[in-house]
Amino acid sequence: MVELQEIHKKFQKELSAGTVSLALLSILAQSGEPLYGYQIGKLVGAGDDDSPGVMVKQGAIYPVLRSLETQGLLSSQREMSDSGPPRRYYQATNTGQEALQTWIKIWEETKSFVDNVLGGEYQ
Amino acid sequence: MKTADELIKSYLTDLKAALSGADKATVQDALADAEEHLRTALENERAEAEAEVETVQAIIQEYGEVDEIAQAYKNWEAALPPALAATPAARRASSAANGTSPAAKTYPGFFGVFADPRAWGGLVFMLISLVTGTLYFSWAVTALSTSLGLMILIIGIPVTILFLLSFRGIAFLEGRLVEALLGERMPRRASFTDSSLSWVERLKVLLTGKATWLSWLYMVLMLPLGVIYFSLMVTVLALALGLIATPIAGAVMISMEIPFQVIHSGDLAWTLSNSGGLLLTLVFAALGVVIATGAMHLARWVGKVHSKFAKALLVSD
Repeated sequence: MVELQEIHKKFQKELSAGTVSLALLSILAQSGEPLYGYQIGKLVGAGDDDSPGVMVKQGAIYPVLRSLETQGLLSSQREMSDSGPPRRYYQATNTGQEALQTWIKIWEETKSFVDNVLGGEYQ
Repeated sequence: MKTADELIKSYLTDLKAALSGADKATVQDALADAEEHLRTALENERAEAEAEVETVQAIIQEYGEVDEIAQAYKNWEAALPPALAATPAARRASSAANGTSPAAKTYPGFFGVFADPRAWGGLVFMLISLVTGTLYFSWAVTALSTSLGLMILIIGIPVTILFLLSFRGIAFLEGRLVEALLGERMPRRASFTDSSLSWVERLKVLLTGKATWLSWLYMVLMLPLGVIYFSLMVTVLALALGLIATPIAGAVMISMEIPFQVIHSGDLAWTLSNSGGLLLTLVFAALGVVIATGAMHLARWVGKVHSKFAKALLVSD
């Protein structure tokens, strides 16, 4: 059973790899203002371990944010805060906005393909 | 029972341990992200002092287990090689991702070096290192002596903190320069400083931090290194370009009807014919090309060695 748990976990991780990028890009593209990691984490990671909707731990969004930034889809800047440590604020670039439209299209196609397969359309 | 601060510190220690084997720069980035997140979260969710420990436990729980987070960073590192794919591991990872063979990214043959961005990066780095080295050295020495001089006054403490912070800042910027020009993966985030500490405590952290003094040492050493890099590169390049330009001089001599006198001393004179003289200048030019190519190899080699040196001093463990 433990092994099966591992397999489930691995499957979920592989599945979430791309969708987390899509979700983060979409959050930042829709938000009118730059957001910092903790805020984004609150939006994505809301919930606890029992809830199946949680695909990503808050700590795991940072490498994704960095990777989106390296690809030029996000930009970030560090700002001092009144209380607590300085924060890094992320926002979507113009390239990021454009990429999101294409990604959404890819997502829609993937979704309907998987839905069709699961619904027995290819039987 | 650990305090909230100890919990955060021990999480960071565990994360660092879980990241062992990853690139030093990745480790530094991961720790900066985690510390920023945990402290910001604590600041936002701090309700009452009694519940602080529970709050931190919940925050860490939501942040994720160290192994999981460490794995996320390692995956990220593998998928995104540094600017010029300098590390063999990163190059393998990127070529695996692109489906190209690793051999496609190497530059074979003696003259292949001209197509290698790292040779050109090394060349630029060597030429500007005289300027950056002089600036770093002056700043490092001025900052330290001013700080020591003002130590006896109250004003000495903030001044010293600012100077010590500037060492870290310059170390970070130099890291970006090294990654851009030499292709070595360096930190992409400045290391985290906890602003909740008092000035005296921050001074203590900065003064006892190994990173501060290694950065300072790097800045001081950049002057002699810069002088050596610059002189070496300018000398070799000037020699090569001078030799490559000799056929032009030969052509000018022919057009002005100046004889090619190779030896002219006392009554000994050896004058070449025009075609012989031109041939000799072509041999010189070929030699110049070989020396210029050698200079590119030198630049690539110096770049490689220097990036290891920079990483050892500028990236904290």
